Amino acid sequence: MKNILTFKNVNYFYQTKTDEIFALNNVNFNVEEESFASLVGPSGCGKTTILSLTAGLLKPSSGEILLDGENKIDRTKIGYMFQKDHLLEWRSVWKNIALGIEIQKPENKDEKLAKAEDLLKKYDLYSFKNQKPRQLSGGMRQRVALIRTLVLEPKLLLLDEPFSALDYQTRLSVCDDVYSIIKSEKKSALLVTHDISEALSMSDKILVLSSRPATIKDNIFLDLEGVTPLKKRKDKNFSDLFNKIWSELTNEKNSNKND
Amino acid sequence: MKKTQTKTTNFSKAHKDYVKRLKRNKFAIIFFRIFVLAAFIGLWELLTAVGVLDPFFISSPSRIVMQIVSMAQNGTLLYNSWVTLYETLIGFGIATVLGYLIAVALWWNENVRKVFEPYIVVLNSLPKIALGPIIILWVGAGTSAIILMCVLICIVITTMSMLSAFMSVDEGKILLLKSMHANKWQIFFKLVLPSSMPDFISVLKINVGMSWVGSIMGEYLTSKAGLGYLIVYGGQIFKIDLVMASTAVLCVLAFGMYFLVSLLERKYHK
Repeated sequence: MKNILTFKNVNYFYQTKTDEIFALNNVNFNVEEESFASLVGPSGCGKTTILSLTAGLLKPSSGEILLDGENKIDRTKIGYMFQKDHLLEWRSVWKNIALGIEIQKPENKDEKLAKAEDLLKKYDLYSFKNQKPRQLSGGMRQRVALIRTLVLEPKLLLLDEPFSALDYQTRLSVCDDVYSIIKSEKKSALLVTHDISEALSMSDKILVLSSRPATIKDNIFLDLEGVTPLKKRKDKNFSDLFNKIWSELTNEKNSNKND
Repeated sequence: MKKTQTKTTNFSKAHKDYVKRLKRNKFAIIFFRIFVLAAFIGLWELLTAVGVLDPFFISSPSRIVMQIVSMAQNGTLLYNSWVTLYETLIGFGIATVLGYLIAVALWWNENVRKVFEPYIVVLNSLPKIALGPIIILWVGAGTSAIILMCVLICIVITTMSMLSAFMSVDEGKILLLKSMHANKWQIFFKLVLPSSMPDFISVLKINVGMSWVGSIMGEYLTSKAGLGYLIVYGGQIFKIDLVMASTAVLCVLAFGMYFLVSLLERKYHK
């Protein structure tokens, strides 16, 4: 299958007044079209840096990033979902969803607005269209944030720990929702998470990062049974895979301590 | 879901008592508010009437009312109030608009902000009244000097407050808009401006008070009319009734302007 995202020998240095921090060391990976990939790694290793580079918010110090086969980042092909929903409180749900369309002013604006209506209907938010975000629950807010990202019809979704601000129960159900929305809309996604089970239950592939300077340590392809993340958690290999990734991450921690 | 909280119409006796207590408390507060004012005015009138206090120095409520009535009859009340109100409104308007625009310019460019920050801090701590003689020298004695004084008093605080409001906009939201490919104008109009609206309303409230300070101070420095002029004039000829009456009118006007801004605030919060 065609790759939507390719990192080729990407290095990245952060410049500060007193230091130059080597954040990414020769990072190589692919995300295939319509697939779901996750990045896991020790905290502060540079997961979010990878997302920022992909979104074109940062430029690599060296190496190449190909988005949809091109080495120029076209931000309209990317949808970014953050840890917080960042809904604008003074705008209604509908106006929040239309924010990206207002900014990008696409030629097929009406089509995209119609798509937004469809998505709202499909994911049970249509009756809240004119409500303000404060009237929604945490899970609903995160779904609105996802629809806001999807209406721009990005080819690749970047998810930066989008569930970490939710309580555990909501988190599981929003995970299910987001997964099924992404799959049914046939989007590709790159998820950054601290939560190994979340990565296992949602992804087709997990990229394990080493500590800083981060490099891809392992590339695990998954084929767990179940149509939803919740069901995938019941797969018999789930705990083995969990332990494998856990030990890779803890080894990383220990080797760091020994350094 | 927060929306579907259960609502009941059959309240218990405890709830009815609770609501009754709340109402009684609210009524008591309103009552004592009026009582404090009435007692103050009553006591003032009484003490001056029986000769404990000398109305030559502190006037009395009835003399103030008579003064206001006579001023209203000969037209000086309306004329002088209008002069001060005009100066205040123009000064308030110019300072708010200009101060806001300067804040936008400083927000826009980090280097410009860094260059001008120390100057703004110094200007803020400078007592603007010290600039009085220079202002008169520059724009001449009269209305323009008063308006300029008013502008100088309000503008720095407007710029400082708005700049700090612009700077405190959630970085994550800015990143979201950037990820949607928003340009700087779009970030300003779609995010920074609306999210700083509550701060803008606070600035308006502060400026209402400050612009009256500016115009009265300006009139103390140089004027031929206005409430500030009447206060200074009354003081010079020992006509304390005129001073008190002008102050009372000033109080009403300033409160009126503050009330209009708070109406705006209420409309915004709806």
